[in-house]
Amino acid sequence: MTQTTLTRRPDRPGEAPADGRGGSPSRRARNGIRAGIGPWMLLPAGALLAVFLYGPLVTGVRLSLFGTDLFGDPTRFVGLQNYLTLLAQPSFWQVVGTTLLIATLSMSMSVGVALTAVILLRKWIPGRGVLRVVFSLPFAYSAASASAIFSGMFAPAAGVVNQILGHAGIGAVPWLQQPGWAIFTIALTTAWYELGFAFLVLAAAMRTLPPEVIEAAELDGASGLRFVRSILVPLLSPSLFFLLVTQTISGLQTFTQVRILTGGGPAGGTTTLVYQLYMYAFGQGTPDYGRASVVAVVLVLIVALVTWLQFRFINRRVTA
Amino acid sequence: MSAVGSIPRAARSRRPRLRAADLPRLLVLVLLAVLIAFPVYLTFVSGFFRTGSFVRSGLFPPLGDFTLDNFVAALTAIPLGQQYLTSIVVMVLQTLGQLITSALAAYALVFPKWRGRGIAYALVIATLAIPGESLVVPNYQLVSSMGLRDTVFGIIIPYLAFGYPIFLLRQAFASLPREIWEASRLDGCGDLRTLLLVVMPACRSQVTTAIMWSALFAWNGFFWPLLITDSPVNRTVQVGLSQLVSSESTAPAAIFAGTALVLLPTVILVIVSQRFLLSGMSRGVLR
Repeated sequence: MTQTTLTRRPDRPGEAPADGRGGSPSRRARNGIRAGIGPWMLLPAGALLAVFLYGPLVTGVRLSLFGTDLFGDPTRFVGLQNYLTLLAQPSFWQVVGTTLLIATLSMSMSVGVALTAVILLRKWIPGRGVLRVVFSLPFAYSAASASAIFSGMFAPAAGVVNQILGHAGIGAVPWLQQPGWAIFTIALTTAWYELGFAFLVLAAAMRTLPPEVIEAAELDGASGLRFVRSILVPLLSPSLFFLLVTQTISGLQTFTQVRILTGGGPAGGTTTLVYQLYMYAFGQGTPDYGRASVVAVVLVLIVALVTWLQFRFINRRVTA
Repeated sequence: MSAVGSIPRAARSRRPRLRAADLPRLLVLVLLAVLIAFPVYLTFVSGFFRTGSFVRSGLFPPLGDFTLDNFVAALTAIPLGQQYLTSIVVMVLQTLGQLITSALAAYALVFPKWRGRGIAYALVIATLAIPGESLVVPNYQLVSSMGLRDTVFGIIIPYLAFGYPIFLLRQAFASLPREIWEASRLDGCGDLRTLLLVVMPACRSQVTTAIMWSALFAWNGFFWPLLITDSPVNRTVQVGLSQLVSSESTAPAAIFAGTALVLLPTVILVIVSQRFLLSGMSRGVLR
């Protein structure tokens, strides 16, 4: 412990004049602070992210350029051939379409219902506290538990929903047996459990709105849908945009619901990108890590593209 | 000042009353609430009754049909007790790991000034845009080569550091006045002590939000635990649920019973901390 008092100012004599704000009390105070281990504290997180995130990202791209032997090990460099084979398959584009459809449907349903609930709950109403708890409850459900419940609810014969429909004289709906319905049911399951988070975020944002603005608008006679459209939605737009981006990203990674509710069927009709990746890598006798990695790279690119488009075209309209 | 203070009190003493104009609003809300609460009701009520009796009675089964058979069926179909233990260990260790790595990282990204800090922050934030599910093949090979396949540590290790809690804590630390940090460091406190005794206590509510986020994230994980574990006893409850669904597909009541057991902790958490979640979200999530 030699106690070398390393101060910043002597190290960089040119810094203070270059920075026009010199001379504030906080600036002077820093003179006495010894350099500590501060910057090194990033090391644990940085190393872990490098090993388990950036490393695998690079490995994944590399794997996608190699052929795979029977044990799943890379054999020889094949360049873009894995990509060309996959992109030439119509079934792959169906997978991309299904993924985009599920992501869009579930995001709009959950944000739409959450926004409706938050707006209707803005003013006092009997049972407001209970209603708030009810709308937050789906937040407690994981993708797996929501899927388990919905698989029981929407089972073909023993399912509660079809039995109720039967009592009402309506025939059984093929909730999970027909591709179109199955996509809807998966999106509904996703929307339902994402709703809790969307509600919590929007309700929290509603609390932080400036009361003066709302009161002024109300005094001006703004009411009903016009008030919602021209006052509330713009004020809530940062949180709405946050939900739009995060829930689309998680929707694009839909896996659990597909695995539990349909197994990708019927006839591959509900296979999403991540489910396809899973099938290539782990779902068949011989793992095909090459093709699975192509799907992974495509997923990364789609997520990046969709997020970029959202920031480019929607973020501009977000006020505040 | 006292006049200003008395206004809200006067407003509160006038009990709000339901006006006729509010009825449509109430009707829509109740309808929505019933639809949204229905799966929750199914989860916690229907597990106690035979499936047939539940529907035949119009969703309010007679108490005479009460049974615990569904729970027995669920518990015999999958080793839920053991999986509960695995899930709790995963949740505790992973949350602790994320808390430690994110608090340290957030501190390094906010307080000390060093070359490359901006780039480092950009690299951490960029991880938020990388879909985690796209990394499973290389991570599967990596973790297997470390000999951690089918172990609790194999489930945890890729998630000991994660972008989102780092981001949450960075935003919280950055909102503190810098003088607090300077004062503590001038008093001779080291960086670790400053973080632990000054910075963290000052951001208590955001730290709690980050802990809750990490804990829920760990408890709810599915894809990775499914891939990296094989033996039923090493799987988490979420993976167990998917086994339950495929083995009991003809008996929804057993699925509901098993899911209720898995959900109990998080449902209690949401009901108890709903008020905190409402305020924590606004501080944690929205910059």
